[in-house]
Amino acid sequence: MELGAEIARDFEGREPLLVGSLKASFVFLADLSRAIPIAHALDFVELAGYGSAQMGGHEQIRVLKDLDADIRDRDVLVIEDVIDTGLTLNYLVRTFELRHPRSVGAVTLLDRPYRRLVDELPVRYVGFVVPDELFVGYGFDLDEKWRQLPDLRLVHLAAEPGGLD
Amino acid sequence: MGLDIPVFQAYQGAEPPRFASQAELECAKVLDYYGIPWLYEPTTFVLEEDEEGRVREAFAPDFYLTEQGLYIELTFMKQSLVTRKNRKLRKLRERYPDVKIKLFYKRDLERLAQHFRLDLAS
Repeated sequence: MELGAEIARDFEGREPLLVGSLKASFVFLADLSRAIPIAHALDFVELAGYGSAQMGGHEQIRVLKDLDADIRDRDVLVIEDVIDTGLTLNYLVRTFELRHPRSVGAVTLLDRPYRRLVDELPVRYVGFVVPDELFVGYGFDLDEKWRQLPDLRLVHLAAEPGGLD
Repeated sequence: MGLDIPVFQAYQGAEPPRFASQAELECAKVLDYYGIPWLYEPTTFVLEEDEEGRVREAFAPDFYLTEQGLYIELTFMKQSLVTRKNRKLRKLRERYPDVKIKLFYKRDLERLAQHFRLDLAS
């Protein structure tokens, strides 16, 4: 994977911490980690999405799973499945920066930069810029289904059951 | 209309916002949820005037994100009204090229909510 080689070049000798933003990024993170031929550590974080059942009525964002690692003086790379508005990544970056890391950057498999509401984000590595369509598979879900599909599929929401390309 | 307005944390206006629809309220909740400072309809842009300088057409984008310097306009509605809105946006960009404005679609909210068929009245 080209992204892995690029990250390895940029972080040689620095042992970055890759932080998977759950849930959808877990498959991408597994592949990315194996494609980075330098020492690096892994951790995970999960935020409750707006309006999700996991929110339990909270009006403010809630961390469902925080980092296990201490990130002070570490190079942190947030691993995202997709970046749209940037609201989630913006929250993560601001939160992590309060913990005094050496650097915070982001890697995303898919990007929709034309949907961005928050522009000044440290998105350093992008797999693919994609059209404004919905995907499932490779960790991406549709109401918690289809994550297990081995590759990305395009979804047509208007179609009735089984409407996958 | 009888909208149940919560106490907002990231709202930066002096007066409580008076939303025109449930969709606007939901968008405000999203911005608040993610801690993005916002204002509701703070600016009305004149788009067209007659020969005497009277305003013939104006446009007040729904939200202004103060940290981003960005206006956002909701488009949760049917296609004919979206087309009308796009025309206004085009005019605004022509007349005020330095103003940053983006559309916020129902799809954006659905993705943030991790639901894919939100039932929102527009």
